[in-house]
Amino acid sequence: MTTIGERASDMIEARVTEPAAAKRATGPSRSSALLGLAERYALVAFLGVLLIVFAVLPATSETFLTAANLRNVAANESVIAVAALAAMVPLLAGQFDVSIGAVLGMAQIAVASAMAHGVPLTGAIAIALACALVVGAVNGWLVAYLGVNSFIITLATATLVGGLVSLYTHDQVILQGVSQHLVDFGSGNLLGVPRVTWLVALVALLVAYGLGWTLQGRRLVSVGSNARAARLVGMPVNRIMLASFVVAALLAGIAGVLQVARTGTGNPQIGNAYTLAALSAAFLGASTIRPGRFNVPGTIIGVAFVAFSVNGLTLAGAADWVDPVFTGTALGVAVALSTVLGRRRGAQRVI
Amino acid sequence: MSTALPGRVLAVEGLSKTFPGTRALVDVSLHVWRGEVHALLGGNGSGKSTLIKVLAGVHRGDPGGTIDVAGETVASDAVTPAWASRAGLRFVHQDLGLFDALSVAENVFAGRPYPRRRGRIDWRRTRRQAAEVLGRLETDVAPERPLAGLRPAERTLVAIARALHCGEGEERTVLVLDEPTAPLPGHEVDVLLEAVRRLADAGEAIVYVSHRLDEVLSVSDRVTVLRDGHRVAERPVAGLDEATLVGDIVGASLDRVYPEMPPPRLGEPVLSVRGLRGGPVRDVSFDLAPGEVLGIGGLVGSGRTTLLELLFGARPRDGGEVRVEGRAATLGSPRDGMRAGLAYVPEDRARDSAFLDLGIPENMSAADPARYWRGGRFRHRREREDARADAEALDIRAPSLAAPLLQLSGGNQQKVVLDRWLRRRTRVLLLDEPTQGVDIASRAEIYQQVRRAVADGAAAILVSSDFEELAHVSDRVLVLAGGRVVAEREGDVTRDWVTRQAYEGQGDRR
Repeated sequence: MTTIGERASDMIEARVTEPAAAKRATGPSRSSALLGLAERYALVAFLGVLLIVFAVLPATSETFLTAANLRNVAANESVIAVAALAAMVPLLAGQFDVSIGAVLGMAQIAVASAMAHGVPLTGAIAIALACALVVGAVNGWLVAYLGVNSFIITLATATLVGGLVSLYTHDQVILQGVSQHLVDFGSGNLLGVPRVTWLVALVALLVAYGLGWTLQGRRLVSVGSNARAARLVGMPVNRIMLASFVVAALLAGIAGVLQVARTGTGNPQIGNAYTLAALSAAFLGASTIRPGRFNVPGTIIGVAFVAFSVNGLTLAGAADWVDPVFTGTALGVAVALSTVLGRRRGAQRVI
Repeated sequence: MSTALPGRVLAVEGLSKTFPGTRALVDVSLHVWRGEVHALLGGNGSGKSTLIKVLAGVHRGDPGGTIDVAGETVASDAVTPAWASRAGLRFVHQDLGLFDALSVAENVFAGRPYPRRRGRIDWRRTRRQAAEVLGRLETDVAPERPLAGLRPAERTLVAIARALHCGEGEERTVLVLDEPTAPLPGHEVDVLLEAVRRLADAGEAIVYVSHRLDEVLSVSDRVTVLRDGHRVAERPVAGLDEATLVGDIVGASLDRVYPEMPPPRLGEPVLSVRGLRGGPVRDVSFDLAPGEVLGIGGLVGSGRTTLLELLFGARPRDGGEVRVEGRAATLGSPRDGMRAGLAYVPEDRARDSAFLDLGIPENMSAADPARYWRGGRFRHRREREDARADAEALDIRAPSLAAPLLQLSGGNQQKVVLDRWLRRRTRVLLLDEPTQGVDIASRAEIYQQVRRAVADGAAAILVSSDFEELAHVSDRVLVLAGGRVVAEREGDVTRDWVTRQAYEGQGDRR
C-alpha cells in the first residue's frame, strides 16, 4: 500500500534519475499548444464571426458594414475605451478602482464649466486633469500608505465626488460655452477615421508602452503579482501602487474631456455608469491575447466586441434590454472560460 | 493481541514507517495512561511528527505494528483519519486552525453540530456548553467574545477546548498537543502549562510534544524520547534533569575532541554585527569572513529568521550595528540592505519571493530590472537571452522560459529565486531554509551555486532546521536560543552538537 507522500517522493526520485525524460517535457505538447491558441484568440474569432453575421443578416446587412456606421461605433466607444484602459492600470497592480466613472463625470463637468466661465480650452483641460489627479492621489495614498481596501475606498470617493458634482452643478447640464474646437475635434474625421479614435489609439499605445516597455510598468506588474516579494526585492511598492491610481484617474479625466468633445455638453448625470462598462471591458480583455493577464490589446478588443455586437443587435431591431443582457452574458462566459482553461494550465486566476 | 490494561488509553507497539530512502520510524512503542501528561521529545528529524501523523491517519504505518486505543486494536497500516477521530484521538496542531472572525463559542463548535431547538441553532445552549468546556481549563474567556481579540495563550486554550469538546456519543481518549507553547511569549506559557496540568489531574490523557525541556520537566509525568526514528528512552520525569534528556535526544556521543582549528581567515570581515536587537533577537554579534558560509542553528522561535530579516532591513531593528565591508549600513528597508550588498532568499517562496504567475525572465530580473531599461524601452529580448543562459547554467527545468513559475517544481523555483541575487554584486547572501521543499538534485545545485558565489570574497549566512545539512554545508555554525548566540563552532560540526547546543541554550527563556 502506498501513501500519497510516498508517491510524491517516488516522483521526485524519478525526476532525479531520469533527466532525459524530464528534458523531453520542455516543449509544450501539441494539444496544449492548440488549447492555448484557442484561448488566446477565442474572443477575436467570436468578434469576427459577429461582424460576418451582421454583415450578411438581412436585417442589418444594409447598414452594419457601412463606413458611416463603423465610424459611428468607433467614435461612440472612444470614451469607454479610454475608461477601460484607466481601470486596467490599478487592476494590474492587484487593486480595484471603482471611481473611474465618477472621475470621468467630474472631469467632464470641470472642463465644460471652466470653458463656460471663459477659460480657454487648454486651461480648461488642465483644470479637469488636475481635479482628476487630486482624486487619484487621494485614492492611491489611502490604498498604498494606509492599507485601506481599494474597492471600498474608491467606492467611497466615487460617491463623494458624485455628490460634489451634484452640489456644484445643481444637477443642471452645462450647455453653453463649450469650445467649438473641442466639439469639432469630437465630431470630425482624419483620413476617414474619427479624430477621437486616433486619440484612443494614441492613448492605447502610450498605455501599452508604459506597461510593457518601461521599468515602471514591469514594477507595476510585479507588485500586482506578489506585493510582498516585490518589497523584498527592493521595489518601492507603495509608490507604485499610488502611481497606478494617479494614472487611472488621469486617464479617466481624459475620457471625461473626450465625452464633452463628443456631446458638446457637461452632464452631471453621466459618470458612474462608465465604471462597470470599463471594468467589464478590462476583464473581457484579460481573457484574450494574454489570457490571465490584463493587457491593452485585449482590453481594446473587449470594448470593440461589446460595441459591435450591441450595435448590430440594435440595428437588427433588438430592444434596449438586449444590451445589458448580452454584455453581462459575454463577460460571464469569457471570464468563466478563461478561468477554467487557466486552471487546467496551472496558472493563477486573475482575481 | 494487546490486552487492555486498566487506565492505559493508548498503546503503540512495533510501529515502523518507511519512506523511500529513509526509515522515519523503526519499531517504536508509546504508552499513555489516563491522567498523565506524556511528553514526546526528539530533535529535528527524529520521527516525532511522523509518529503524530501516523496516529492521526495522515501517514499510513508499515504493516506489522499495532495501535491500541482504549482497548480497540488496529493494525498500524489501517489507521485512517476517520478511525482516529472515532477512537477519540484529538489533535491540537501548531497552526491552531481557528477562525478570527467568529466568536469563541463558534470556534469551539466549529465542525461539530450545534445544539438545536426547533430546527434552529440554540445559541444560549451553545454558549453554555462552550463555557462549560472552557471552564474545565479554568479560563474566564467569555464565549461570546470575538476570537480576534484574544491573547495568544487564550487562543491556544480555545483550540484545546475545541479538541476537548465532544458531541453526544463521542468518546475522547487522548489529547495530542503539538508544540503548543512555540508561538507564545514567555509569560503566557505558564497559563497554558497550568491548564494542561489541571486537565491531566482531572483524568485526561495528554501527549505533549515540545522542544522546551524546562516545560517538559515541569508539566509532564513521563517522557518518551525518539532519535533517528527509534524510541531511545521512556522515563518517568520525577528525578529527571535536563542533562539526561539532552543525552537521550542527542545520543551517547559526547563532544568529540576538537580538531585542529583551520587557519584564521585573512582580510577584513565582509559582515560585522554588533549587539543586534529586534523582535525575538535580543543581542547578536558576529563577524563573517570573506568566502565563509556561516550556518545558523536553533529551534523554532530562537530568532533565526528574524536575524536575517533584521540584517536585510526587512524588519526594523531596535539597536545594534551592522557593517558591510567596514561601512556602517543603515538598514531601514530592503532597498537599504540591497544597496549595502545584501541579498535575502526568504523561507516561504510562495509568499515572499516567487512571482508565481510571471515567467522565468521576469523572476530572474526582479531584483534588478533596471538593467534592461535602456534608451527608453525595456529590452525584453536581452532579458530572455540572459534568462535562458542562466537557466541552462543552473540546470533549471521548465515547460518553457515564459511558463509561469507556478508550473515549476520547488527546486527549480528556488534556483530561479537564487539566480536573481547571483546576478547582482552580492556581498552577503542571506538564505533562510533554501532547500525546503527542494528535491535532492536541486539541493546539491543550490549549495554549489552558493559556494561559487562566496568564492570571490563574498559570504553567506545559512539558516536551516535540517541540522545535518547545516553541519555539512557550513564552515562555521552559530547556535541561537532565546535570541542570543549560545554556541559557536568551526570545523567538525555535527548534527548532534547543534541539537545539544540548541536544547541546552534555551535555559533562561522566561
